[in-house]
Amino acid sequence: MSPLDLTTVLKDAPIGEWIALSSDQEHIVATAKNLSDAVKAAKEKGEEHPVVMKVPPVSALIL
Amino acid sequence: MKFPYAVFPALPDAAFPNRRSVARPIVSVLLQKDGLSLSCYALIDSGADVCTFPASFAAQLGIAIPNPKTYVFSGTADQPQTAYFENVQATIWNRNTSEKPITFDLYAGFCDTLEHVGLGLLGQDGFFSRFKISMDRANTVFEVTPA
Repeated sequence: MSPLDLTTVLKDAPIGEWIALSSDQEHIVATAKNLSDAVKAAKEKGEEHPVVMKVPPVSALIL
Repeated sequence: MKFPYAVFPALPDAAFPNRRSVARPIVSVLLQKDGLSLSCYALIDSGADVCTFPASFAAQLGIAIPNPKTYVFSGTADQPQTAYFENVQATIWNRNTSEKPITFDLYAGFCDTLEHVGLGLLGQDGFFSRFKISMDRANTVFEVTPA
């Protein structure tokens, strides 16, 4: 089973912002400073079930 | 159900000069509450006592916080943190398999201090207490099986 490679989809994502990914998690549908705006923008673009996350700093690990 | 690790981009630094990416055991989670839902990612975190999510997730699920169901805990920071708990329904799935998603009731906490992380933590009480978790980091795979 291959890893879920998020390096490509996050490559140009704005660090520290919320992103809404397509339901297949292949591309970014919307970005925003806060979660609600990201979800709203994604739904306005026709993505009813976006997967949300915040773009992590590339130098930071989750402890 | 087997899941692949998720690979995040990372920059090399003095401690890890050859690092370009970081693999983490992360699942897609659909949270549902009273007809509202939110799809997100959550880290399988055996070091977390409970299951917590960023506070902003609560609003998307119609959960008003602060609420009386408070839980004060500490992490790597020296300041106490407060999570507000509520019952939700959680579903985890692997989009690359035809296996049926796993849905379960989850007493989840929502806290401001996870806002900067932007994903949930699936910890001991509520997740590890419910499932057998088998980690295979060498092959970047983990398995979640109902206990």
